[in-house]
Amino acid sequence: MSITVNQPRRRRPVGHTLRILGGVTVSIIFLFPVYWMILTSFKQQVDIFTSPPTFWFEPTVAAYAEYMTRADIVPRLVNTVIVATLSALFSIIVGTMAGYALARIRIRGASAFGALILLSRGVPPIALAVPMFLVARNLGLTDKHITLILAYSTFLVPYVMWLMRSFFLSLPKELEESAMIDGCSRYGAFFKIILPISLPGLLSTLIFSMILAWEELLFALVLTNRNASTIPVAIAGIAGDTVNGANWAALTAVGTITVVPVVVFALLVQKWLIKGLADGATKG
Amino acid sequence: MGTVQIRNARKSYGSVEVLHGVSIDIEEGEFVALVGPSGCGKSTLLRMIAGLEEITSGHILIGDRIVNDVAPKDRDIAMVFQNYALYPHKNVRENMAFALRQRRMPRAEIAARVDKAAHILGLEQLLDRKPRALSGGQRQRVAMGRAIVRDPNVFLFDEPLSNLDAKLRVQMRSEIKELHQRLKTTTIYVTHDQIEAMTLADRVVVMNSGVIEQVGPPLELYDNPATLFVAAFIGSPPMNFFEGDLVHGTELVMADGTRLDLPLADPQGRRRVTVGVRAEHFDLADDGWPATVSVVEPTGSETLILARLAGDVVRILIRGRTSVQPGETIHLRPQRSSVHFFDAAPVPEVAQMEDVA
Repeated sequence: MSITVNQPRRRRPVGHTLRILGGVTVSIIFLFPVYWMILTSFKQQVDIFTSPPTFWFEPTVAAYAEYMTRADIVPRLVNTVIVATLSALFSIIVGTMAGYALARIRIRGASAFGALILLSRGVPPIALAVPMFLVARNLGLTDKHITLILAYSTFLVPYVMWLMRSFFLSLPKELEESAMIDGCSRYGAFFKIILPISLPGLLSTLIFSMILAWEELLFALVLTNRNASTIPVAIAGIAGDTVNGANWAALTAVGTITVVPVVVFALLVQKWLIKGLADGATKG
Repeated sequence: MGTVQIRNARKSYGSVEVLHGVSIDIEEGEFVALVGPSGCGKSTLLRMIAGLEEITSGHILIGDRIVNDVAPKDRDIAMVFQNYALYPHKNVRENMAFALRQRRMPRAEIAARVDKAAHILGLEQLLDRKPRALSGGQRQRVAMGRAIVRDPNVFLFDEPLSNLDAKLRVQMRSEIKELHQRLKTTTIYVTHDQIEAMTLADRVVVMNSGVIEQVGPPLELYDNPATLFVAAFIGSPPMNFFEGDLVHGTELVMADGTRLDLPLADPQGRRRVTVGVRAEHFDLADDGWPATVSVVEPTGSETLILARLAGDVVRILIRGRTSVQPGETIHLRPQRSSVHFFDAAPVPEVAQMEDVA
């Protein structure tokens, strides 16, 4: 058909191209260390120290092979999975319900209580590490999974609580009221209406919580020894090996192993992270 | 039983009382509108009936049962919210079925009820859609559908039409009225729009600052407003008011010295009064209150004249058409039976606020 005359050509403005270029540049800057880590993990010691650094080398999985077979790495990975999953799940359950209560239920002093919990996050973890160790030791809880789970919950619960609180505040309260008139108790309205709607927010909070627990070093270093020790402790150990010097291939190999599950997990739940599931509840 | 009795209900937030003892008896099957300016306590009262707000003191009875301490879910009421509050993760069918499923009703009956309600509201084609795929008017209809499948004792409406555009609002207004005539369920309807209240309700409750100003059938409020507030709030165009001293029984002397002859004396014999006359209760005559025409607004069937009298705007509504021109002086004669006397007071501003929602 010959009506092309009236069809405006789709022209992308220059600003659009610039924005894409900017985005790509920033991504490269942020992703380069990750790329370099993965690259290094496949290098041999000689290639790592080549100057200038080389991109072309004979890849080897020696570092992986060596470290995966070393006695401490796999148990530590398992420990990390256990601690990160359980502490994140525990914090999500407690924090979400606490956040809901802070957002919705009128209690005297609720806001002061919430602020106090947030304030507890302001204390630097290093200041808490030693007291926490003493408490754990007196309770006979050092070097156990539960120790780390509880320790991580001290910062994850406030984190979840505040994130979910603001999420709940953004939902119209008429949703629960409607559910309560339709035959739900407050709990029923929360579980049947509010939680399903909050799933995207809940999942992204869960992921961030798991990542925070996954990569935590300080408490793991102080509170565990051998049985419950996690991967970040192993990495720190390799980096701080004063006897043999830092084994960079090993360091980056273990680092890569640590990162991969997080990335896979994030990709799996990505489709839940879309906004707008709550659209349509109200007038629109 | 769909009666609702409100006995001296009060509501305080901390030390601030927002509802100062309200009593209303609502009959089975009645359509009652709570109307008033924003902040008058009408929504709070509705939410107290629903169980969403605690009752500070007094009693609310639904049927013969005091419901002060009964949870919303056990009050057998259905409520339509201003923002509809549809469950966004459920489709239209699930939204309507939710309350029935909560009551563990058999599947077949749920399906039958949902289909029936969908048929009444013309929602059959939309049953599988999520709320976000619906227009504002459709969402409103689903919200109503969710209420009517319940077949509750009482319907509560909280400004259900104020989020719709003007045309749709008028259409849904008629539909709500038709629905009520069909279902005959006791209905309590909150609105700030006096036209909505007048056109829909069997009885209108006018509220202001946490108290009831007057309760009555729409036309009774219109014809015999009990207070200056009701007189100013009900009616469109609004009633005209003239404040002054009565001398010789029927002569009103206004602050600037203007003297107006009234067709009758104040039955209560007050000295300082505010006199109210509705726009359509003036006759144009050869003698009477002189006013200067500023605007003439013909609408075909009637004509609204805005004129100035003693510095104030007077609205005159005459049936049919007129040759009156802006700038002209006209003479107004209020009809004898339609002059209202109130205690002298300035006209409450909130009562005359134009509807902007």
